Amino acid sequence: MTGRHVVARVGEFPPGTRRIVEVDDLSIGVFNVRGSYHALRNRCPHQGAPLCLGRLKASVTASRAYELVYGPDDELVKCPWHGWEFEVASGRSVFNPHRVRVPAYPVTIEEPEPEDPSVPTYPVTIEDGLVVLHV
Amino acid sequence: MSILQGQPIIDCDIHQLTRGPQDLLPYLPRAYQERIRLFGTGLSQRVGYPNGGDRGYRADSWPEDGGPAGSSLELMRRQHLDPSNVEYGILLGQEYRPIPSLPDVDYAAALARAYNDWMIERWLDPEPRLKGCALIPTQDPRMAAQELERIGARPDIVGALVPNGARFPYGQRFYDPIYDACVNLGLPLVIHTGSEGDGMNGQASYYIEKRQGRPLGYMEHLASMVFEGLWERYPTLTVVFVEGGYVWLPTFLWHMDADWKALGNETPWVKRAPSEYVFEHCRFTTQPMEQPEPIRRLLTVFEWGRAEQTLMFASDYPHFDYDSPELSLPALPEEMRRRVFAENARTVFNLPARQPAVAAD
Repeated sequence: MTGRHVVARVGEFPPGTRRIVEVDDLSIGVFNVRGSYHALRNRCPHQGAPLCLGRLKASVTASRAYELVYGPDDELVKCPWHGWEFEVASGRSVFNPHRVRVPAYPVTIEEPEPEDPSVPTYPVTIEDGLVVLHV
Repeated sequence: MSILQGQPIIDCDIHQLTRGPQDLLPYLPRAYQERIRLFGTGLSQRVGYPNGGDRGYRADSWPEDGGPAGSSLELMRRQHLDPSNVEYGILLGQEYRPIPSLPDVDYAAALARAYNDWMIERWLDPEPRLKGCALIPTQDPRMAAQELERIGARPDIVGALVPNGARFPYGQRFYDPIYDACVNLGLPLVIHTGSEGDGMNGQASYYIEKRQGRPLGYMEHLASMVFEGLWERYPTLTVVFVEGGYVWLPTFLWHMDADWKALGNETPWVKRAPSEYVFEHCRFTTQPMEQPEPIRRLLTVFEWGRAEQTLMFASDYPHFDYDSPELSLPALPEEMRRRVFAENARTVFNLPARQPAVAAD
């Protein structure tokens, strides 16, 4: 069922980590890449591999033959089976970004609900937001 | 949407690995145990090239016990045999396939024996769904035939395994002792890619480039077998070409047939068109299935190549370029599906229909 799905508290989900969440029939990989959260369907459009278990890597392009140019780290996820690569932020494949992609889902950071609004609350040391997946 | 609709499959290419050379030591004579402890096995697949995936394998196929991908029967069952509804899987090894490249023939023969004995004891005996092909030292066809005679009558040994890379093309008479043994034992010759030397025009620079040469080796072997009259001499021999692609085949047959009409007097023992011999005696595995856009174009190629007769499914589990049984081919007509995913292999490897498990009364 579509809607909001709380994944974790920000403090529990640091940069460089990922989680796989099951939302009804969907397996979705949620990534924290340098402080930004992204979510992709955990199913490669090629042959159905668990895409979000793949290694994160920088893009590698070539300005000229035999020269390598690296993009930012962890920008791409590489499918653990045949190696197809997808932009983590958009789900677009590297080799055909216009036509081959994996679904991407919005992820927002939201304030946690108060435990019980009728109970007086007082400032506490650290406010820890919620990572919320929208499917 | 599953194209299999519940059909059990026969997987013609699964790779089982040792945890290391120590697994074969118990099956080797003392001299070779000592040699391997000091120098390793001396085998290598191809020097200088990287591979795909995670060190050549699906990233999720490395067992938690720390052994190599493909070394755990338990993981193979859990990750592939059970969920993919595998009725039979044909084991084609990995590290020991290059033994035909070894210069010491006796060492090569001893390694082949040890690999075969290890495979029988550690994989075929415990798992009735798995069948194996016998590794043989092709550099000495008489010793290769001896190894086939030693174990080839076992029902769980279903083929003679040789690499694409060879000293001579496989149609030549040099190999006749092997074919004599295959025919006596009712075993197909099973050729798997690997051990290819430099290409006809020199060395490929990159792994991705070198892979494109696999069909070229298979074309050489096919042309050799056809024009040496292999199937006139061995009319019951079947040859399986594993992991070399398929879509090149029908157009290659057109080429050979055209030349046979014009030049056939050089080899008058080739009494029939080359394509006839190949359709009758040769089989090809699907993986890595070429994937045109749209994938339905494969159905045209399947028609040209008589896939209903010549094509057999293989997954190549656990290599990185593994083909999913569900998703690597287009939907097939029912009869073709049955044959490609099971019945062609059942005939080639002489596999009985497995009885379904019977519930206790």
